[in-house]
Amino acid sequence: MAARTFLVVDDSRLHHQMYHLIFARPAFEGAMLLHAYNGREGYALFTAHPELTAVFLDLNMPGMTGLEFLERRRAERLHPQVPVILVTTESTPDDEARGLAAGAWAYLRKPFTPEHLESLVAGADGRGVPVSHRK
Amino acid sequence: MTTLQPDHPFAALLAEFVAESAPLAEAVVERALSLERSWNRGEEDEETHAPLKGLLHTVKGNSAMMGLAPLQSLAHTLEDLALLLSREPGVRVAGGPLLVRGASLLADLVRGAATSPLPAEALRIQIEEIRAFLEGNPGAQEELRTERRQADQRQSDRRHSRQTVEISSDGAVSTIRVDSARLDQLLDSFGEAMIAHAGLRDALRPIIGRRRAGGEATQVEHALLGLERTLKRLEGALMETRLLPISTLFSRFTRQVRELARGESREVRLEVAGGDTRLDKTIIDRLGEPLVHLLTNAIIHGIEPPEERTRLGKPAEAVIALRAVQRSDRVLITVTDDGRGLDPERILVKARALGVAPTAERPSRAEIFALAFLPGLSTAERVSSLSGRGVGLDVVAGSIRALGGQVAVTSEPGRGTTFTLRMPLTVAVLRALLVQVNGERYALPLADVAETLRADDRAIHQVARQGMMTWRGQVIPVVDGGEALGGDPVADRPYCVVIRSASRHRGLLVDAVLGHYEVVVKALDPTLGRPPAVAAATILGDGRVACILDPGRIGERPADAAKDAAGAA
Amino acid sequence: MPTDDILEFADQLGASAPTAVEPEERQLHLVVFSLDREQFAVPIELVREVVRVTDITRVPHAPEHIRGVMNLRGRILPVLDLRTRLGLEATELTPRSRVVVVEIERRVVGLLVDAVAQVTRVGERLVTSPPDEVRAAGQGAITGVARAGERLLMLLDAARLLRNQADNPTSPSGVLC
Repeated sequence: MAARTFLVVDDSRLHHQMYHLIFARPAFEGAMLLHAYNGREGYALFTAHPELTAVFLDLNMPGMTGLEFLERRRAERLHPQVPVILVTTESTPDDEARGLAAGAWAYLRKPFTPEHLESLVAGADGRGVPVSHRK
Repeated sequence: MTTLQPDHPFAALLAEFVAESAPLAEAVVERALSLERSWNRGEEDEETHAPLKGLLHTVKGNSAMMGLAPLQSLAHTLEDLALLLSREPGVRVAGGPLLVRGASLLADLVRGAATSPLPAEALRIQIEEIRAFLEGNPGAQEELRTERRQADQRQSDRRHSRQTVEISSDGAVSTIRVDSARLDQLLDSFGEAMIAHAGLRDALRPIIGRRRAGGEATQVEHALLGLERTLKRLEGALMETRLLPISTLFSRFTRQVRELARGESREVRLEVAGGDTRLDKTIIDRLGEPLVHLLTNAIIHGIEPPEERTRLGKPAEAVIALRAVQRSDRVLITVTDDGRGLDPERILVKARALGVAPTAERPSRAEIFALAFLPGLSTAERVSSLSGRGVGLDVVAGSIRALGGQVAVTSEPGRGTTFTLRMPLTVAVLRALLVQVNGERYALPLADVAETLRADDRAIHQVARQGMMTWRGQVIPVVDGGEALGGDPVADRPYCVVIRSASRHRGLLVDAVLGHYEVVVKALDPTLGRPPAVAAATILGDGRVACILDPGRIGERPADAAKDAAGAA
Repeated sequence: MPTDDILEFADQLGASAPTAVEPEERQLHLVVFSLDREQFAVPIELVREVVRVTDITRVPHAPEHIRGVMNLRGRILPVLDLRTRLGLEATELTPRSRVVVVEIERRVVGLLVDAVAQVTRVGERLVTSPPDEVRAAGQGAITGVARAGERLLMLLDAARLLRNQADNPTSPSGVLC
C-alpha cells in the first residue's frame, strides 16, 4: 500500500501537537504528516501534494479561513479527489453546512478523540460514505 | 474530573496547552477590565466584544480537547455571560465585575493547569454565580443558545470580507469596518482641501479687505466662513474615526512588564488607568515604543530588588502606574514608579561635565530634570538580558516630539519618578500661530502659545547677556527669534510671543505675527536629521514650506543645549 | 510645478547619439549637469525627475549642505546644495538652476545644480577612475571620470553624496550628508 500523507492546517501549535500524537498511533503506521500554520501556507502545501490522503482544515484561522480555503479550491478546481475535512465546534452548524457545500468531504467537531479521527480517516481511505463526527 | 488523567491521549501536551492558552486567557481578563471601565463611565465599547468572545471560544475549545471539562465549563459560561452583556446594556454595570472575576479565575486556572489540581469547589461556585446571574435575567437563557450561534456566525462572516456591514436585529446598520489605509487616504484628501482653502483665503484677502466693494465682499467672506466651518466639522468627524482607546496599547504592557521584571529579578505590578482615553491611531501606533522604553528603564534602573526594597521599608512589590487623561486638546500620559528616583545632583554633575549646564549658577529643580533628556545624560548604560542596552531618554524624547508631544520628568530621590507625556489628540492638522523672522515664516503650535505681545510695550532687561522680562508676575527669559533659529540676531523686533514648554515660559522675539492658521502637519524627511527646534513642516496656502517649531527646543543648537535659557535664577 | 524638463529629456533621449561603441558593450545611461564649468553625471535609473527651483525654505540647524526644503507636489523635499557638497562655493539661484530629484535606497532627495545639460549614454569602457586630486576634492563622491566626445564627465556616487559625514553635528544616528 502506498504511504499515506496527511496535511494539517491550523493556527494552534497545541492542535498540531495533538495531531502529531494521534498520527503516531499504530493505526497510522507509516503515515507522513505535513504541518501548515495558516491558510495560505496550507493552500501552498495542498497545491504541491496531489497525493494527499486527507486534509484536516481548521475553520477559524486569521487571514485565510477554512471556508475561504475551500472556496478557493473549488474555484480553482484543485485536486478534487483529495478529501478535505473541516474541523469545527458545536456552535458552528451553519459553517458546517456551508463547508460541505463548498466541497468539504466531511466535518470533524471539536473536541474529538483519536478514535473519532481514526474512523473518519478509515472512511476516507476506502472512499466509503463520509461520516461526520459529532460529539 | 478535576485534573487531566494521566492516560488521556493528550496528557503529554499539558505544558503546551498552558503555554498557548494562558496568554489568551489573560487577554480575556484585560479586555474584561477594559469593558468594565468603559461601562462604569457609561460608555460603550463595541470593539472589544467580538475579540473577547473569540478568545473565550478558543480557550474553551483547547480545554475541551485536553479533557479539562471544568475549564471548558467555565469558559462556556463566561461566553454566555459575555454574550448577554453585549446584548443587554442595562445589566452591564452589574455584570462587568462578574465577568472580570470569572475571567481572572479562568486565567489563573489555565496558568496553573499543569502544576496544580483544579479547585473543584471554587470552580463550581463561580460557575453557579454566573449561571444565577444569567437566569436572573428573564429570557436570557432561552435566547442564549440561538444568540451564540448567530454571533459566531457573524464572527465568521466578518472574516470573509474586509469590509462588512454588521446588521443588528432590527435591520439598522450599526457599524462598518473600514481599512485604516482608506482612512489615511481620506485624511490626505482632507489635508489637501485644507491647503486649498488656505490658498483661497489668502487670494481673497485683498477682496475682502476692500470695504468699498460692499455686498460682494461680504458675500465672499460669508461663503469663506461657511467653508471654514464645514471643513472644521469634517476635520472633527475624520479625526474621530481615527481615534482609538489607548487601552489597545496599555493592555500589551502588563505581560511585557511582568516578563521583564521576572528577567531582572524584580517584583513589579503594573497599574493602568484611563485606558479608555482616545488618541489618534497614528500616535498610538508610534507611542508604544517610547512608552516601552520608559517602562524598561523604570524596571531596570528605577526599581530596586525586592530585598533592598524591604530593607528600605518599601513593599517588596514595586508599582508602576500608567495613567492617561484627556485635557482639552491634549492627552496627558504619566508613568510613575515608586523606585529609586532620579538624583538631581548626579544629573547636574554629569551635565556640567558634558558642558550643557552652567557651572556658576544653579538651575532650578525643574530645569535640572529637563537636562535629563539631553543626549549623553542618560544614566542607562547597562546591558540587560531582555532589552539590550537601556534606551537613552534623549531618544525617547525625540520620538515623542516627532509625534507633536512633549515629555517631562520629576522625581523624589528614594521615593520614585514620574514621566509626564503631553500628546496632541490629532496628528494631521495643527492649529498654529504663524510668525515671521528674518523673512522666513514659522509655525508655532497654538496650544503652546501663552500670549502675543508688542515687544516695545515691555521693558526687556539684559541680565548676564540673557534677555528677561516681566510677564504675568513672573520673570521669564526672552530670546531673539533670529538667533534662536540659527540666523542673525536683529535688534528691536516688534513682537514677542510667549511660548510655553513643560512648566516654563519664554518670550520669542519675532518680526511679525501673521495670524492663526490650521496647518497640515508633515513629517520631516529623515535626510534632514533631527534639527532640535523643528518638529515637523507644513505647506502653506501659497505653496511654500514653513517649519513647525518645537517650543521646548527653540534656541537649541545641535548637540549643544547651553543656549536654552536655563538661567532664570 | 513645471516639469517641461521631462519633455526635454524625452526629446533628448531620442536625439542623443551614443558615442562610438561596440554593440556588445554595456552602456551607462546618465543625466549630466553642470556646476561652475564642470560637468557631472548620475545614473538615470536614480533620477525621478528634474524640476525648476521654487522657493527653498531654510530649516534651522539642518545638516551641512542641506540648503533647505522645497514643495514638490505636496511632498516636502530636502534639497542638497551639490556645489557646497563638492567643495565649491554656494551661489545664488539663476533661472537655469535646477533640482535633480533622485531616489536612493528609498530616500527621495533633491540635488541643486547650476544647470542640467543633457541625457547621454557612455560606454562603460570609457570610464576610468578619477585622478587623486579629483577624488579628494569630491570627498569620495566622485567615482569615475568619462570622456564623452569633447567633454570630461565626473560620475557621482549618489548614495555616497547622501551618506554620513563624520562632523555632521545634527543627527545622533548620523543619517545624512
